[in-house]
Amino acid sequence: MSLTVVGLNHKTAPIEIREKLAFGSKETIKEALRQLIQKEDIAEAVILSTCNRVEIYVYSNVSSDKENRESKVEELIKEFISKFHKIEKDIFEKYLYVHKDRQAVEHLLKVTSSLDSMIVGEPQITGQVKESYEIALSERATSLILNHLMKRALFTAKRVRNETRISENPVSVSYAAVGLIKKVFDDLSKKSILLVGAGEMAELALKHLIGNGVKSIYITNRTFERAKELAKEFNGTAIPFENLKENLIKADIVLCSTAAPNYVITEKMLKEVMYLRKYKPIFLIDISVPRNIDPSCNNLDNVYLYNIDDLQAVVDSNIFERKKEAQKAMIIIKEETEKFFHWLNSLESVPVIVSIRNKAEQIRQQELEKFKSKFRDLSPEVLNSIDYLTQSIINKIMHYPTVALKNNCDSKEILIYSARRLFGLDNEEE
Amino acid sequence: MGTIFFELALTLYFAGFILSIVGIIRKKNDLDKAVFFLSLIGFLLHTIYLIIRYIKSGRAPVFSMHEANSYFAWSILLVSFLINFFYKVKVLNFGIILSFLIMFIGAFFPRGIPSLKGEIKSFWIDIHAVMAIFGIALFSVAFVFSSLYLIQEKAIKSKKFRGFENILPNLEILDKINYRLIFWGFPLYTVALVVGFIKYVSLVGFMFDPKEIWSFLTWSVYLSIYYLRVKEDWRKKKAAYLTILAFLLVIFGFFGINLLTESFHKPL
Repeated sequence: MSLTVVGLNHKTAPIEIREKLAFGSKETIKEALRQLIQKEDIAEAVILSTCNRVEIYVYSNVSSDKENRESKVEELIKEFISKFHKIEKDIFEKYLYVHKDRQAVEHLLKVTSSLDSMIVGEPQITGQVKESYEIALSERATSLILNHLMKRALFTAKRVRNETRISENPVSVSYAAVGLIKKVFDDLSKKSILLVGAGEMAELALKHLIGNGVKSIYITNRTFERAKELAKEFNGTAIPFENLKENLIKADIVLCSTAAPNYVITEKMLKEVMYLRKYKPIFLIDISVPRNIDPSCNNLDNVYLYNIDDLQAVVDSNIFERKKEAQKAMIIIKEETEKFFHWLNSLESVPVIVSIRNKAEQIRQQELEKFKSKFRDLSPEVLNSIDYLTQSIINKIMHYPTVALKNNCDSKEILIYSARRLFGLDNEEE
Repeated sequence: MGTIFFELALTLYFAGFILSIVGIIRKKNDLDKAVFFLSLIGFLLHTIYLIIRYIKSGRAPVFSMHEANSYFAWSILLVSFLINFFYKVKVLNFGIILSFLIMFIGAFFPRGIPSLKGEIKSFWIDIHAVMAIFGIALFSVAFVFSSLYLIQEKAIKSKKFRGFENILPNLEILDKINYRLIFWGFPLYTVALVVGFIKYVSLVGFMFDPKEIWSFLTWSVYLSIYYLRVKEDWRKKKAAYLTILAFLLVIFGFFGINLLTESFHKPL
């Protein structure tokens, strides 16, 4: 038996290659899986295709010698990719990575736990792995081994999320901004926001804030028309630029990104504003370059001013934090990989046969003891015969299961797994 | 009989205390549930203890140093539970830390039930003591919230985060609860002082003991906090610093004055 993963990701391949090899839709993945599992050497398969990675996980149970078979499966997948996407193997081959057995398992666990992601700790990947598995499941492309592996991977991701702080702190600037605002204000739906100027990042941050419940939105711009446009788009109120100060008195959150070369909000101005608003807290975000809000405003009581560099610093420290957490996560992943192989090894035939025979022998001995204590006056000859008789019954019964388990066949693991369950071996171990 | 409930409550508080400290060091709040249940069971046993003592002595169980500490710790925990319930703010771990420490101090004082001199055994004295200590408990929790507010404020303002801030509530809610605590605590404390003063004058005549003077000093700091709040000045840092100062005065009044001076309030 062997596990193989062939794939590429954002670290190994440029976007041009990734998009060529991507399996765009659910239907494409289904079609690819159908073709894959028809191949003689491939027993089970799962395809993971996201915008950052394309990976094909395959379990093969060919009974030829291991070395040979593994490179065969690898070639098989590469050829399949080439054929399916109608692209020359030479073009993409150098971007691929191939992991086998233990490395393959560890890789999947890392991917699912978001340790291999572009942004370490981002939570989407776990969902994407789950979805890929469900597609494979619906196509009956997986069976005993990959089912167990995928479940273990999803379980590992859950453990990593719960036991480390890997996905706790936001690592994008606009999310970080929202996170900071939430440290100051309680119920964002009761807060008002003032957008000064516009820009891609300001709009993104505004969208996040709206997503977090902010309802009253005021927008101002040097060109009033633009303010009106944005107001329409975000369901807000447009305000003439001259009224900036009056609106600063009312706003709780200010997002500033204008193209002005100087400070639009000065310390003197904000000082007056703060007096007028009875020092009610105000959160200012300045994402314009050059800066539009005088940095010394942060010295005023109850003014919280963050500029783009401050936000970036928060993001950077969060990324650093996540990398530290990733080391803890690796310990969990090693543990879970170990557990998976422990399970996999239990599917070897010899130990199973030994266990079944031991169990049968144990039962025989117990029953013999009971029998002997019931009929105390039997002669040793009779007892010997009974001993012999029971032994031969067991041998006869055990013959076919033993032969079946010893034979190499395609679905050997399933057979062994079934045998373990039928003879109740795992209950005993636990 | 009875002190077993005290021991049990103390043990459970201790467990909650340890878990809270561990959670704070780890900067995670995954132990909060365990802390909650340990404190809750401890609190219920503690309540039984207070009732037993009340029945035995026929007066509020707040007169010996042991009793006062035990009731003080109980009140802090009750306030923490109420905040947890009404504001859904998970700061019980800070409540149990404070509660345990006070309870722990209380464990060192003799646990016998002292008998009060006839004239002190009165309904109004009971009311005075129960209300005063409950007011002090509200102030103590306000102290915790003020400290947390200042820590969180400083982190946001200085833009330096150490991870501890993640388990803290936001500034607005910290301040809101702080305000509520003073809002209820101040009138309660005021009434307790007035009742105490009237009773004192009727018993001893018009003269001052050190506790009274100290309490008046403390009361005037709370008055200024109250004034700041009512005035709607939003510079919360000032109020937070004052709350911390007032708490230090209160605590000194509770432990220091009682034990150091020869006064009417000398605990039994």
